[in-house]
Amino acid sequence: MSNSKNTILSLRNVKKHFPIKEGVFQNVVGQVHAVDGVSFDIGAGETVGLVGESGCGKTTIGRCVSGLEPLTDGDIFFDLTPEKLVALEDFEKHQSEIKNKYLIDEIQSTSNISKIEGDDFYNYRRNCQMVFQDSFSSLSPRQLVSDIVSRPLKIHKVCADNELIPRTIELLEQVGLGKQHLYRFPHQFSGGQRQRISIARALALDPKLIVLDEPTSALDVSVQAQILNLLHDLQKQRGLSYLFITHNLSVIRHMADKIVVMYLGKVVEAGKTEDIFANPQHPYTKALLAASPDLSEDVMSDMAALDGPIPDPARPPQGCSFRTRCPVSRTECGWEVDDIIRRLEHHETLIDSIKSVHQPDAFNAKLTFETSLSAIELKDVVGTKDIPKQMRKAIKKIEVKGNDVNISFDPVQTVPLVQSENGSLSRCVLANK
Amino acid sequence: MSPDNLDIQNSLDKDLIASVTDLKVYFESKQGMVHSVDGVSFDIVDGEMMGLVGETGCGKSVTARTFMQLVQSPPGMLAGGNIKFRSKNIKNGSQVIDLLDLSENQIRELRGERIAMIFQDPGKALNPGLTIRTQVAEVFQEHRENDVLEEAGLKNKLTGVTEYFVKKYIKQEAGFLVTTLFKIPPLSTYKKKIDSGINRLVAEALEETQIPNPTKVMERYPHELSGGMKQRVMIAQAIACNPDLLIADEPTTALDVTVQARVLDLIKELQKRHKTSVLYISHDLSLVRRICDRIAVMYAGQIVETGDAETIFNQPKHPYTQGLINALPSMSHERGKLEAIEGIVPELIEPEPGCRFVSRCMRRKANCEEIDPKLKPISEVNKSHKVACLLYEA
Repeated sequence: MSNSKNTILSLRNVKKHFPIKEGVFQNVVGQVHAVDGVSFDIGAGETVGLVGESGCGKTTIGRCVSGLEPLTDGDIFFDLTPEKLVALEDFEKHQSEIKNKYLIDEIQSTSNISKIEGDDFYNYRRNCQMVFQDSFSSLSPRQLVSDIVSRPLKIHKVCADNELIPRTIELLEQVGLGKQHLYRFPHQFSGGQRQRISIARALALDPKLIVLDEPTSALDVSVQAQILNLLHDLQKQRGLSYLFITHNLSVIRHMADKIVVMYLGKVVEAGKTEDIFANPQHPYTKALLAASPDLSEDVMSDMAALDGPIPDPARPPQGCSFRTRCPVSRTECGWEVDDIIRRLEHHETLIDSIKSVHQPDAFNAKLTFETSLSAIELKDVVGTKDIPKQMRKAIKKIEVKGNDVNISFDPVQTVPLVQSENGSLSRCVLANK
Repeated sequence: MSPDNLDIQNSLDKDLIASVTDLKVYFESKQGMVHSVDGVSFDIVDGEMMGLVGETGCGKSVTARTFMQLVQSPPGMLAGGNIKFRSKNIKNGSQVIDLLDLSENQIRELRGERIAMIFQDPGKALNPGLTIRTQVAEVFQEHRENDVLEEAGLKNKLTGVTEYFVKKYIKQEAGFLVTTLFKIPPLSTYKKKIDSGINRLVAEALEETQIPNPTKVMERYPHELSGGMKQRVMIAQAIACNPDLLIADEPTTALDVTVQARVLDLIKELQKRHKTSVLYISHDLSLVRRICDRIAVMYAGQIVETGDAETIFNQPKHPYTQGLINALPSMSHERGKLEAIEGIVPELIEPEPGCRFVSRCMRRKANCEEIDPKLKPISEVNKSHKVACLLYEA
């Protein structure tokens, strides 16, 4: 990691859990694991693309980065010099022997965005701006364009009052608008123009990093192309870094230097754009690529889609979280009792006759049925083709005792992110070998 | 105008299911008439998938809604043209009708029965206050009372007043008196049979769209289902009566890519199995290319180019189509350099004559601003590939 450039943003094992509250007293009954241990770096002048389906936590990361949500766990560091990054990595590897404690302390107090205060935090806010997806709701309908774009300048007292308007015009010109647009309301503009106003507002304070949360998904292709070109030009002129959040793979391929693919709050694959598109390692990335119609040149190729719904992020699957939809799942993917129960959806009578479930952990459970016949039927069902072969193999023990069925699986650790041959990281048991 | 359009009113080429000719739909506004759809003509070949592509506000949804007379009037206004449709009712044989001439009652019989529609946002199109069962059952109750009777085992078994009452009950037209009568025997036994018959029909329809566990899903409310499932329910509703024409108005825009792929597969598969014709409306060119046989590209209320999906993609002729295809970030482009179409879509309020694309066109000629280009075949050889541009007029 002997890079001469600064690292603008470094996410270290970031977690964001949202509590589920229930009842009159709003007792916390569970946690939605929206973001569950995400790490990646954004270098100066670099674009990192964050891809995934809706609900995978990509927008939550954007909000955490811009300081809109406090973190549950982990750290986000802002603007690290190469030496600091090395020191930080060293510190994480050898927790016990702290060589340069003063440097770590300095990093923590000046760069960790959840710990910095006062002027440092002010400085961070200036340098990290955001552009939202829906320009209808992110621009105040009652403010003029001149107010919207000059507001950051006023708040951060960047320029004198008499310079405000010339500076605002300058900003508007940079995004392809002009003087004539100053005294209009957002509703008088088209979608593409409103997105330009959002970008102008984000540029006002000359930030180092812009978080772009689906900036073009509400736009038509011809306008989308205009906005993407604009973002590209601005990056070249000002050396901006982008965190580009989108579900559109063809857009990300055009914009990003590095890609992070997320699934259920976890990174499943990360690496250079060319590597991931040329040789995707994780089955989820492969499925996403296959499902995007505008990426493949071969029109007739099968859009091999994924089966089934995304699992509940309040109870994410153990082991590999993608295995419930994975086309190439293995025995060692970490199958658990919930998988059997999910499969029972096709056997209504069986699932209706379950009286209680006693589950000490994810891999062991005692299911109590109303009749012993149902218990035997469950065992039969588990033996049939309804249950994938890999899952059947993973069952360690299944025994019927009267109305009860005891099921146990081999416990499996969460699959780690490992480096694959082409240098990208992927979280899959197949890559582990 | 081609000569066959001058023929007698109700004629339609044998291989076509529907034909739109010079359709004009305007909307009143304070600034003047908005020409949303301004002289649109295209044909839908029987059993094929026709894609209607264009950007926001180009009039593609209005065109689709006109098929079912769903454009609200006022402010909407039909300013001309006709839509011929071949209704293949099994009883009466097929007949050609003009959809725009029908009365409210006549079009009501066709909606859901011969022409069905899938809307963009299933969350909004489904009624949040009714169970899935009630909403899908409505289609059968409205159009398929004989099927319901047969499924309930009551066909040809009822006579006189009883039959009248039962049919009223199925059609949900029963008033207070009949509803009360259905609470006491012997009508209450029929009620049970009819309800379970409807349940079976609904479950079958849901099963066809690969919804797991249909009898469970039936009892749920729309908010309990995921986006993909809701869209499947919509599709089940649409194909329940095996319509001749299915209009899909951006059915996958609100869905994730992986779910989108599933739903597309499903629509394609159902279309093949039932030999339904589909009018597929989308803003996504590359998606339409994947699933449609023919494409019509719309811009500012007019069709600028139409032809086979592959021809449109490989040899686009109209500058707008070329621009759209180049603006797609695809594998063949340099990173960071996209050929955007500069400028914005023109206002459609009382438009001037001349090509609508002229202000954004890179290849405009001197007379483009004066002459309205007509949709004409590009060559003598390929009659199906038509383009509306002066560049290709001799």
